[in-house]
Amino acid sequence: MIQLQNIDIGFHEKLFEIENLSLEKGSVYVLIGANGKGKTTLLKTLIGEVKPLKGDVIINKKRLKEMSRLDKSKYLSFVGSKQQDVDFLKVNEYVSLGRVPYTNLLGSKTLNDTEKVKVALDTLGITHLQDKFTNELSDGEKQLAAIAKAIAQETDIIILDEPTAFLDYANRVLVLNLLKEIAVSLNKVVLFSSHDIDTVLEQEVKLLIIDKANKKLKSFIPNLLSKEDVIRMAF
Amino acid sequence: MAILHITEGQFDLDLNLMKKALFSFDSTDTYQVIFRDFRLPRLFMGIIAGSGLAISGLLMQTLFNNPLAGPYILGINSGASLFAAFSIMTGVSFFTSQFGTIASSLLGAFIFGIIILSFSLFVRSRISLLLIGVMLGSFSGALITVIQSMSNAFQLKKFTIWTMGSLQQVSFSDFPMIILFYFIALFLLVFTIKPLNTLVIGEEAAGLLGIPVKLVRIILIFITAILTGLITAYCGPIAFVGLAVPNLVKLLFKTQNHSTLILGSFVFGILFMLFSDWLVQFLWSEIHLPLNAITSLIGAPFVILLILRKLA
Repeated sequence: MIQLQNIDIGFHEKLFEIENLSLEKGSVYVLIGANGKGKTTLLKTLIGEVKPLKGDVIINKKRLKEMSRLDKSKYLSFVGSKQQDVDFLKVNEYVSLGRVPYTNLLGSKTLNDTEKVKVALDTLGITHLQDKFTNELSDGEKQLAAIAKAIAQETDIIILDEPTAFLDYANRVLVLNLLKEIAVSLNKVVLFSSHDIDTVLEQEVKLLIIDKANKKLKSFIPNLLSKEDVIRMAF
Repeated sequence: MAILHITEGQFDLDLNLMKKALFSFDSTDTYQVIFRDFRLPRLFMGIIAGSGLAISGLLMQTLFNNPLAGPYILGINSGASLFAAFSIMTGVSFFTSQFGTIASSLLGAFIFGIIILSFSLFVRSRISLLLIGVMLGSFSGALITVIQSMSNAFQLKKFTIWTMGSLQQVSFSDFPMIILFYFIALFLLVFTIKPLNTLVIGEEAAGLLGIPVKLVRIILIFITAILTGLITAYCGPIAFVGLAVPNLVKLLFKTQNHSTLILGSFVFGILFMLFSDWLVQFLWSEIHLPLNAITSLIGAPFVILLILRKLA
């Protein structure tokens, strides 16, 4: 789905390089790296907000930099680590924003759009929250709503910036399990950054580690590395 | 409210007479002339100013993601004020006609609108844009002070009265142009509803949902520039309508759906403006209150209440 070959990642100066990496549907990838080593820059490169210093991100055989904004929004969705607080925005309306790339100029929703929003709410198990205002939700519920919006957007790729950063243990596990389920059952690429090595290693996910020694992004299959290996390589 | 508004004034006009003035106008009847030349334009201007300012305020609040933004946040009104000051106080009138002040302030609003639009083309962050707007305002404020310090008492009074705001400056013959621009703005507004609904979760998030954020920003500023420029030129800088009304509408309807918010601002903006102007005329025999005093007297306590509510 995503091809990354001989790419230099950085903003003004090079932070690390990717020799050869392809991200496939149905898998969860967890990006691990020390602060300031380029995690966020990589995520921003993948959503097209930052250009790679060298090389091209290829999504579904198309160059990312040649895709229009609208095109991108149909392939990629992004979930930030903390959602902006908005007064009087209902969960239902918030999740409906995921349909924005598909609605017409006036933003009118079709039955199909409404159905997609329903399914997204259901997938995340937050149907009962749909009439609540988003700023009344707990941090965990907010995160679930944001992921539901990404599901409603129906993109093959979902990228999340530290989705578990502000959550307690139970919610972290819940979110990780949901992300895994989404990747497998909806056949999507799910990629997120995390500092939460303990919880991540309990899950069957592929690791992408920014190796601090030779400034390269390395990919590992599940259950290969111990916590010590990860720490030694990344921190 | 419109009927209440149009029947209030120094002369009592009944509805029968209004009908006559509209459909079988007799220019020798003083009362009919008063209705056609004073009351009706005043009512029209009230409707346009109330709805236009409230809607502009809403657009700016959503664009800058700040409930305390208003139609004047970009400094377009200060362009109008500056040029009005030029025209009234320097004697170097840009236009020699009797509508010199209005024409000059229209030109001022237009120039400042162009300035802020061109900044919005290359300024990346909206906070910078906000700051540039505020700076433009301070800059022209200072220039106005300089001009004031060099003017005589009569000119000062004339300018001060202009800044007090009034719905009575407009004449019947100006309406085709005003209505044309007003409807251009309203027409463009239809296409901003979807982007506005998306912008509430932030510019970056909206961009990732395929919204052409920069283009939307330019359209929103363009609409605001047309509306506030036009209204300020004809009515002076009317305070608080654009700030208070959209917030009131949000509290009333508890939604972020901008088709509701725009409609609400439209209706309540008109109601607020006509009520304020009705008060001005109602109290006319007792005390001469400028429109701006009324809108602020009602608007300011409301905004304070709103801030307290936010803090609580």
